[in-house]
Amino acid sequence: MGSVPGRNRRLESAVSILILAVLFLIAAGLLIKQAPRQAKDFSFLLPSGFKTLSEMEVYNAGNLYEKINGEAPLYIDAGFEKLSTQRFAGLSDRNLVAELYIFDMAAARNAFAVYSVQKRPNVEMLGGMQFAYKAGNAICLAHGRYYVKLIAFTESEQLSAAMAQVAKNISTSLPVHDDTGIPEIEYLPQDNLVPGSIKLYLANAFGFEGLTDTFTAKYTLDGETITAFLSKRAGKKDADVVAQSYRNFLTENGAKTKKPINKTLEGSVFDFYDMTEIVLSTGPFVAGIHEAENQQAAEKLIAKLIDKLSGKAKND
Amino acid sequence: MTEQNDKNLVRRRFLSRLGKAGLSIAAAGVIAHRLYDNKGPELGVQSEDMVTFPDFSVEPQPGRTMSIVNGPDRVKTVNKAIELLGGIGRFVEKGKTVAIKPNVAFASPAFLGATANPQLVAELVKLCYRAGAKKVFVTDNPINDPASCFRWTGIAEAAANAGAKVVLPCANLFRHTTLTDGKLIRNWPVFFGPFENVDTLIGIAPVKHHVRAGASMTMKNFYGLLGGRRNIFHQDINTIIAELSMMVKPTLVILDGTEVMMTNGPTGGSVSDLKRKNTLIASTDMVAADSYGCTLLDLKPSDLPYLAKAENAGTGTTDYESLKPRRAVVS
Amino acid sequence: MKIVTTRRISQAFFFTLFLWFCIVSTVGEKFWQLRRWPVDWFAQLDPLVAIGTALATHKLYWPLLWALVTIILTIIFGRFFCGWVCPFGTLHHFVGYLGNRRKTAAQKIRLNRYRKAQCIKYFILVIFLSMAAFPSLAATLQTGLLDPIPLLTRSFNLLLLPVLDRPVSFISATARFSEGAWLILAIFLTAVLLNLLIPRFYCRFICPLGELFGVLGRSAIWRIGKKQADCTDCKLCEKSCEGACLPSGGIRISECVLCFNCRRDCPDELIAYRTTPSLAGEVTNPDISRRGFVLSLAGGVFAVPAVRLSNKLGSNWHHKVIRPPGSLPEEQFLTRCIKCGQCMRVCPTNVIQPAGIEGGLENLWTPVLNFRIGSSGCQLNCTVGKGLPTDLVPCGKVCPTSAIRPITLAEKLGLDEFADVGPIKLGTAFFDRNRCLPWAMDKPCIVCEENCPLSPKAIYTQECFNTVRDGVLTVKETAGNIINVDQALVPAKFATGDYYCAVDGEHRVKIAANTENSIELSPGERFEKVPAAGGKIEIQVRLQRPYVDIEKCIGCGVCEHECPVSGKKAVRVSAEGETRSADRRLLLER
Repeated sequence: MGSVPGRNRRLESAVSILILAVLFLIAAGLLIKQAPRQAKDFSFLLPSGFKTLSEMEVYNAGNLYEKINGEAPLYIDAGFEKLSTQRFAGLSDRNLVAELYIFDMAAARNAFAVYSVQKRPNVEMLGGMQFAYKAGNAICLAHGRYYVKLIAFTESEQLSAAMAQVAKNISTSLPVHDDTGIPEIEYLPQDNLVPGSIKLYLANAFGFEGLTDTFTAKYTLDGETITAFLSKRAGKKDADVVAQSYRNFLTENGAKTKKPINKTLEGSVFDFYDMTEIVLSTGPFVAGIHEAENQQAAEKLIAKLIDKLSGKAKND
Repeated sequence: MTEQNDKNLVRRRFLSRLGKAGLSIAAAGVIAHRLYDNKGPELGVQSEDMVTFPDFSVEPQPGRTMSIVNGPDRVKTVNKAIELLGGIGRFVEKGKTVAIKPNVAFASPAFLGATANPQLVAELVKLCYRAGAKKVFVTDNPINDPASCFRWTGIAEAAANAGAKVVLPCANLFRHTTLTDGKLIRNWPVFFGPFENVDTLIGIAPVKHHVRAGASMTMKNFYGLLGGRRNIFHQDINTIIAELSMMVKPTLVILDGTEVMMTNGPTGGSVSDLKRKNTLIASTDMVAADSYGCTLLDLKPSDLPYLAKAENAGTGTTDYESLKPRRAVVS
Repeated sequence: MKIVTTRRISQAFFFTLFLWFCIVSTVGEKFWQLRRWPVDWFAQLDPLVAIGTALATHKLYWPLLWALVTIILTIIFGRFFCGWVCPFGTLHHFVGYLGNRRKTAAQKIRLNRYRKAQCIKYFILVIFLSMAAFPSLAATLQTGLLDPIPLLTRSFNLLLLPVLDRPVSFISATARFSEGAWLILAIFLTAVLLNLLIPRFYCRFICPLGELFGVLGRSAIWRIGKKQADCTDCKLCEKSCEGACLPSGGIRISECVLCFNCRRDCPDELIAYRTTPSLAGEVTNPDISRRGFVLSLAGGVFAVPAVRLSNKLGSNWHHKVIRPPGSLPEEQFLTRCIKCGQCMRVCPTNVIQPAGIEGGLENLWTPVLNFRIGSSGCQLNCTVGKGLPTDLVPCGKVCPTSAIRPITLAEKLGLDEFADVGPIKLGTAFFDRNRCLPWAMDKPCIVCEENCPLSPKAIYTQECFNTVRDGVLTVKETAGNIINVDQALVPAKFATGDYYCAVDGEHRVKIAANTENSIELSPGERFEKVPAAGGKIEIQVRLQRPYVDIEKCIGCGVCEHECPVSGKKAVRVSAEGETRSADRRLLLER
């Protein structure tokens, strides 16, 4: 082996290191491409013909007020965590603008509560999704822990269709991210239920602070529309306590006990300013009828509800 | 000195290689740029391949749209029929080229009446040459084997004897077409080559019963211009026949009702299917010709839905009497 | 750091990367699944793919622009790809090393001598390129047969991975199959084992890509060469010469794969990589005559129309050539498919299979759908992402040349902006009424109708009642809803709910059960007139006979997959009615 000129060896090493650097860059580039992307924007939800108009804005409970002013407590009281919002517009017609609000409510029940309480009676339900409706220039939907609002800035069929598509895309592609779900919906009888009438009051149902986590639903029976309510408590004892305290609340406010048609409802039926109010507890549930005009129909409905609940209670 | 020369040589060789490398890279870049396709392949036929059939019709003359001649001899009746419309000179100009499209659909001998009569074809060729035509082509895209069809029907021999050139269909004569108001003829291959550079188009068809369409006459004759898997159009036979009349505007059509195939059309197969009616029609309006022709099959125009469709599309009229067809009898 | 060490690291890097890309080609979001890995990168870097498709289609598909990088680097540096990047080359290098390391230096030098036969790869390249350059749509792209990148991709994806994954079921829970993989095995094994005879056999004698690099790198700016004309002639430089390019004498630049082993092995350090040509002379041109070139050109040009005489692209097309959704029409498809097998690898249901030659010679290893294999036909909602209409269908996404276009789910199903055009049809299902249970065997079934994923379904049924074999019975007596009969019956045979009892002049009554000599009608069912003793009743089976609605059928093959007649299926999909072919239409309206 002759002596190697130092220059060559250094050149050789330099070139080697350069080549290794290129390989390293290739590897790095590939890995960076694989990093899970935080949704920096909502373009993946948009249908063809539309693109995002502004940057996505994110708000938490502290600064939610800056975006939606007086509406903020509505969400914050219901468990709000984060709002992501972004505008989008049509590619060919820049006047077709809409804004997408995705409220992260931390749990499906919270999202549903906000959704159901904001829903007005006569809205157009959107097919293909469980909790979604269109009202005027807005589309609202509850999807897992997210409450979504889409607001159109102009009236346009094309824009409406695009918004409906965004809602659809959200319901199919956005993960629900909620483990708890809303099991009480199963407990309400399906027969005669007015579609889309289920509401969830997280607190202060009917003005009584003891009625938290209460579901209400409207039914049509014998030509009447009757509101039933249901709340699942921690256990039988808790249910009995809540039921009794609501009854006390009613009598304190002028309700009088009424003779029920069905003897088993003795003690549960009240006359409250000429309306029938029924409150009882069965198992871990507090259930009843609120402000019914027709006592007979009200008792029929509560019987159905109890039936369903005892069936469910057996299975639980 | 030599060392310096060597060094220069080496440097020159290096520069030349550098130059070659540079040129190669540049060439690669330019080629890549010219061929660059940032969309990827898409479906559909290229528009360069699309054609439209020229309009071969002549100026209409009132009272000279349709003629009906009775007589047993085709040669005599066709001469008379054309004379009644103004003579062959109205349709064929001196020094121009003519394409004749007879019905050569089947490899069937002439006496069975499933195809155009060879003598009739030959007579038309002769008439065209008498009018001073430079060249006459006889062509069709048959259903059966093309060479066999032209041979067994006798049309190849008759046409050649009269001085016409027979053009058989081959792949490079087909192009694609889309009919502007058409529902069916969209992006469809058609037998276009022989008609591309001619001045006159004459159709010749026998009157035949057709099981699917009701009748096969001058309009159905142009089914022979369709290529590809054209049998698919039998699923909507009346619309396709109407669209044929929108796609092709011939100069003149000859409807041969001398011996009519009354039953078992369109192939027939026995002389008992034929009935002698001794009628020949010449017309510049295919719809009118067919409307009259169907009466020879003991049908009414309303029995053939394609006639009404064509009339609605504006390619002719079913009320042939309103055209005041000229009539004659030739013994 | 020695350059040879760097070269080894580079080879290991790219080989591992290639292997990784093969492993991750499974639809999914996990790190070891498809995600956003650029699994086509090697095919995109491969200039034979780019040049082949450019010649055949007169266009350069945009992802193949990577090949320009390879071409430019080759023009400057020489055949670096063969020695530093090509995973097949690395494999040959390694096996060649393993197989020959115990040989003496003299034996190795002899093995690495230049052989004239190394020009065969030039002929192979010219034949392939002339086939691809054939005018208009008669061109055919067959480079994929011997191009090392598609070849290795095929061998890994369709052969090695399914075999290795079987016992562990890591890549796929269900077993994956590849039809005709024996041929891929034979070729792969032969190529690899030939290294035991002569190192880098494939690279030296067969590889058309290597030859292409050789041609491009003729005027490389840097090349291997001797620093002086004379030396001791020990020929140790050729002991480990990978390219068999004769570094000791007039080095053949187009054969040199830049392994740098000669530079390492020369005891006098006379070999260097520099801009000055070798002082012992160099040969830049491939070793073939003009006559050889013309002959191979003519061979390629003549082969195409000769092969196409079978008319497999015309009316003699094979009905079982059902291509994946998004495939181009056949003539165009054959100008782009490089037979890499990526689509087959990525298909989640394993229905895309390598074809044999029944569809023509050009069909070999192109993707065709075989619905009997795999887990469920071509599934309706199949995307790379989460199922948004804008997500891409996997087979089209991984096709490097767009022989299968990268279509969205919306285009595949005819949604949104594609609602006017309608869904993509792969073919049509046809019932074989001689084999179908309700049609031919009087047995109720309709698994096919149940599984049709469309709404409304493309399979519908019509009810029909057939008297069963020996089904005419004589009444002994009737008691309530039990009818005793003279004949002996198989107990409970008619208790499935599909059987009815028919009496002349009355409507049928469902049978609930039967014993050896009596029929029990369904509770609450009666005949108007009680069947008298001696009268006849008929046992009838209620059949729902399936029909295909060819306007709706998209040829997804789920019915064929589920049909219980498992050998020759009673409903089979064939390619008639596929939307990509104008001349295979079944219906006038699409």
